[in-house]
Amino acid sequence: MSDPLLRLVDLSKRFGQVTALDGISLDVAGGEFLTVLGASGSGKTTTLRLIAGFEPPTAGQILMDGADIARLPPYRRDVNTVFQQYALFPHLTVRENVGYGLRMRRVVRPEIEQRVTEALALVRLGDLGARRPRQLSGGQQQRVALARALVNRPRLLLLDEPLGALDLKLRRAMQLELKQLQTRVGITFVYVTHDQEEALTMSDRIALMRNGRLEQLGTPEAIYHRPRTRYVADFIGETNLLAGKVLGANGGRVTIEVGGATLRAIAGETAPSAGADIWLSVRPERLAVGPRGEVAPDRNQLDGVVTDVVFMGAGTRVFVTLADATRAVAHRPPGDAPAPGTPVAVEWPVDAGVLLRE
Amino acid sequence: MSNTPAATRRLVLRLGALVPLAWAIALLFVPYGLLLVQSFWRLDHGVLTPGFTLDNYRRLVGTSLYPRTILYSAVTALWVTGGALLLAYPLAYLLAFKVRRHRDLLYLAVIIPLWVSYVVRAYAWKIILGQQGILNGLLLSLGLIREPLSVLLYSRWAVIVALTHIYTPFALMPIFAVLEAIPAPLREASQDLYAGRWRTFLHVTLPLSLPGVLAGATFAFVLSMGDFLAPQLLGGNDSALMVSNLVWSLFGVAYNWPLGAAVAVVMLGLTLALLTLTGALERGGSGR
Repeated sequence: MSDPLLRLVDLSKRFGQVTALDGISLDVAGGEFLTVLGASGSGKTTTLRLIAGFEPPTAGQILMDGADIARLPPYRRDVNTVFQQYALFPHLTVRENVGYGLRMRRVVRPEIEQRVTEALALVRLGDLGARRPRQLSGGQQQRVALARALVNRPRLLLLDEPLGALDLKLRRAMQLELKQLQTRVGITFVYVTHDQEEALTMSDRIALMRNGRLEQLGTPEAIYHRPRTRYVADFIGETNLLAGKVLGANGGRVTIEVGGATLRAIAGETAPSAGADIWLSVRPERLAVGPRGEVAPDRNQLDGVVTDVVFMGAGTRVFVTLADATRAVAHRPPGDAPAPGTPVAVEWPVDAGVLLRE
Repeated sequence: MSNTPAATRRLVLRLGALVPLAWAIALLFVPYGLLLVQSFWRLDHGVLTPGFTLDNYRRLVGTSLYPRTILYSAVTALWVTGGALLLAYPLAYLLAFKVRRHRDLLYLAVIIPLWVSYVVRAYAWKIILGQQGILNGLLLSLGLIREPLSVLLYSRWAVIVALTHIYTPFALMPIFAVLEAIPAPLREASQDLYAGRWRTFLHVTLPLSLPGVLAGATFAFVLSMGDFLAPQLLGGNDSALMVSNLVWSLFGVAYNWPLGAAVAVVMLGLTLALLTLTGALERGGSGR
């Protein structure tokens, strides 16, 4: 990777006694779509506000092209923001809103007109330029906010839960559109959301935050399939978490004991030592539910009883209560579900289980 | 009857709603109606005589004293409005955006003078501006003047200063309310789009606060134009008297109730016209 466009170095922010951000270090490459994901209070919005310049950091650096911009006011940064509630100026028309940044930079009038027209075309709002924001639907306002930021051709675009106020269907459509737009304009996006599905859909990389710290940074695939902690596995997608104890490690394989049964799993980044408490995470789509019997050599098996079968359209969700009373859930294709009350075995390939620290 | 308690409650509510209505009719509409009726009466050898004549209005328009006094009052009220806005806007801005701690306390400090009797506040200016007053004392002790100035009190400017002091809180309240309601992200968005603090104020904060400014200006203008006590106490000579003083002397001293009523009706009409105009401006401004 070439030199990063944006580099956060040990960035911290305290509000009085509250630590909102506790030493974040992070690189963002030019052209990347990075999602900062986290629950409310995780520090994701604070991170964004520090990069935008709305708050000064308590400690640390914000480097853009190697220069520290942490102390610059927002209007001196080559960064634009799409706000959560859009923050469109109610007293200005759509065109005036979009042209605001160019006007403040004293771009000449004909160029403003041309670039505003282009930006509105880019977000497919060409014919609404004369309206006021309040005359637009939520989705349209969202596009105006996007155009108002993109028209300035910033090096970096910050988006603060921009789809949060839209309904589910519109949100899905906008997710794809945003991603395509980002690829087309080639601007680096730092996108804040609490919606893990959104993060998985759009991002090149995800920075998952927790309590003001970076919990894990990686591609959506890596974060989904190789979560580093129990928190990550639980936060991203649905998963089955089984509490166990390490019996021993052999090569890349680890033998653990879960509820009296002996299971095998792939060792994660840190090789656990024997006797350690550990969590085993298995995604529901990797779990098979079938009759009890012989265990294939590269599979794990646990006995249980089917308690619920929930129809979901594209498939069914089978809930199984395991021998140690843990509830497991499996996603199965339609028609492949035993009736509730059936004694079954849940099975999964050894490499589908991920070992996690607490 | 099973619904008796509910029916009784509804009746009580309806009767309750009648009380403020009766209040408004008895103390507002009836006096205004009487005023309007009397403005068409005439004075026959000092005796109030019912009838219908437009003489009072003819005299009002024909005598230069009345239009001049109304204009004089309006100009005075304009000065007061300007002064009140100049004081109220920065203060409201500070309260809305700059003060974090003790904000409620400071707002209260602005409002508290409204609890002090108007007469006391107007009288206080007599003490400040008088020949033996605080201001003269200060100027004397600083050696800036040799003898007490008599022009401070009993002048148009004394009236304007006192009225500005009295009506500034009325201008401040709507401005503060509007400024406080401006969502913080709007000002952040402006800064994000390369506008510094001053240009953010000019292009976002100020335009969005105009409805409050208009409301505050209307308060200050209407209240000071109809003011009666400050000119009486601080205006001194007749030339500094305002239209309300004129109405008062027509009713009280000259015992010309019909003419006084006519002046009052004209003033009421002007005020209502102004309120309608600013109301339309405000609706137009926010409904765009």
